[in-house]
Amino acid sequence: MASSVIDVRAGELRALANREYRYIDRKWDLMFWVTAAFVVGAAANITMLLFAGDWDFWTDWKDRQWWMTITPFATIIIPSALQYIQWRAWRFPTGATYTAVCLFLCTWVGRLIQWKYFINMPINFVWSATWIPAGILMDFILMQTRSFILTSLVGAGAWTIGYWVANYIMLAPFLQPTVFMGHTLTVADVQGITYIRAQTPEYLRVIERGSLRTFLQETQYVSLAFGTTLAVVGYWIGQFIGRYLSVWPIGRFLKQV
Amino acid sequence: MTQQITQAVPERSEQPAPYDPPVVPGRGPTDWRGGWAWGIYAPLILLGVAVAFRIYQAFFTFPWGLDSSTPQFFWLWRMAVVVSLLGVGIFTVSWWGWLLQTARTIPQRISRREEVRRIAVFWGLVGATSVNLYIEASFWPNQDGAFHQTLVRDTAFTVSHIPMFYLFFPLGVTLAVGTYLYGRTRLPNVYGAGKGFPWSFFLLIAATVTEVAQVAMNEWGHSVNFGNAGAEEFFSVWFHWPFVLYGWLAGGIFALWGETILRLYQIEDDAEREETADAPAPQTVPAGGA
Repeated sequence: MASSVIDVRAGELRALANREYRYIDRKWDLMFWVTAAFVVGAAANITMLLFAGDWDFWTDWKDRQWWMTITPFATIIIPSALQYIQWRAWRFPTGATYTAVCLFLCTWVGRLIQWKYFINMPINFVWSATWIPAGILMDFILMQTRSFILTSLVGAGAWTIGYWVANYIMLAPFLQPTVFMGHTLTVADVQGITYIRAQTPEYLRVIERGSLRTFLQETQYVSLAFGTTLAVVGYWIGQFIGRYLSVWPIGRFLKQV
Repeated sequence: MTQQITQAVPERSEQPAPYDPPVVPGRGPTDWRGGWAWGIYAPLILLGVAVAFRIYQAFFTFPWGLDSSTPQFFWLWRMAVVVSLLGVGIFTVSWWGWLLQTARTIPQRISRREEVRRIAVFWGLVGATSVNLYIEASFWPNQDGAFHQTLVRDTAFTVSHIPMFYLFFPLGVTLAVGTYLYGRTRLPNVYGAGKGFPWSFFLLIAATVTEVAQVAMNEWGHSVNFGNAGAEEFFSVWFHWPFVLYGWLAGGIFALWGETILRLYQIEDDAEREETADAPAPQTVPAGGA
């Protein structure tokens, strides 16, 4: 009995998948995915820029206390919304990766066209972080758990730690010690002092607080744990956007005036 | 008497056939040069304007864009504000006026082909709005952060503010409202008068209006920040945060795609149902016959 129900359902799905349409073709898919990429990248970028941008603009701001605490919170919001939208619409566990790719492209266009070629900052000082490995991890967790609650709890941690690990590879060379004017600094510190940012207050001092370096960097792991907690909150802000600002309004109208 | 009644009541005319545009090869409802044409042209035009402005900045920022007290700044940059606002104003009045004016004469009873074409054009406009949102919320803000953290500002009308606040921000309102007017006047089955005002457009238009309104708070905040804390430029400062709200409200754009794709499926179902009804009934062959 159960297998016959499954057979009927499978037959229905097969018929749906093989249905010939008169007007709906792949051009609709192409136009949607390409043009949606702009608004997704923009929403993710503006959220990152205005909540945590300073910690991503410069190498010496990519510290072990604030960067990994604030940035995962700010950048998980829109991926979470897209996870809901794509899972709800197509059962695609791809929303976080899609957003991460869009954000990555938008950020790099900005860094190259505006930061490098407009104000002439060297790209190895203003390089953008990447969110793509973290996005793949979070989508994998949604695919395996099929639960937004579990994804918020486990996925937010994966997002934060994945973000840190993926970017540490690029950051590590800039954390190497060097002696500069009689002081032991990192390469990133030297960049911050050399390339003057006349409108930020920190151009004369080291950004990362000294305690982070004297506590044998254990603060880094505390920051990761706190960053995960904040990312859980960010995940549910994103769920609100996906559920109530993007999907709920479909076919709903305000009363006529 | 009977004759009088007969004369008084005009004969009911037959409903005209739904409007179906002539078939032109390569310009069909879902051809790239047909229904999708504006979906390609409009985003390219917007990106072209942004790139052109960026090239203008490359030539005129560092020689004449840093000191707002000079006559060169007045002509090259303050006048750019005026030209941008005038340009957006003229485009807005022309486009919205054309949409509303032609709405009185375009056919409201339309064939499925024509409705599909209009939905494709609508998607093109939604796509253009999406590209404009990118230019507003990523392309120029990146420049704004780069410019203001490294160079001293002495006016609210800085080189990086002009294309962002006074060209693409108001253009966002123009595109969002214009897309609504297109849907309201061309897609009666989705956004017709009897349905009320859609939540999707309410959120999207609210996003673009919030963005424009936030410019004032931003400049006020910078004046406060300048006075109290010195010339410091943190990008994640509190009075920038309401700009983020715009990015979130813009999530309503997904509902536009959702509403129209559901209508497309309805059109497909209707067409299939009609073809099934028109098809000759299958002939039954008696057992052992033929």
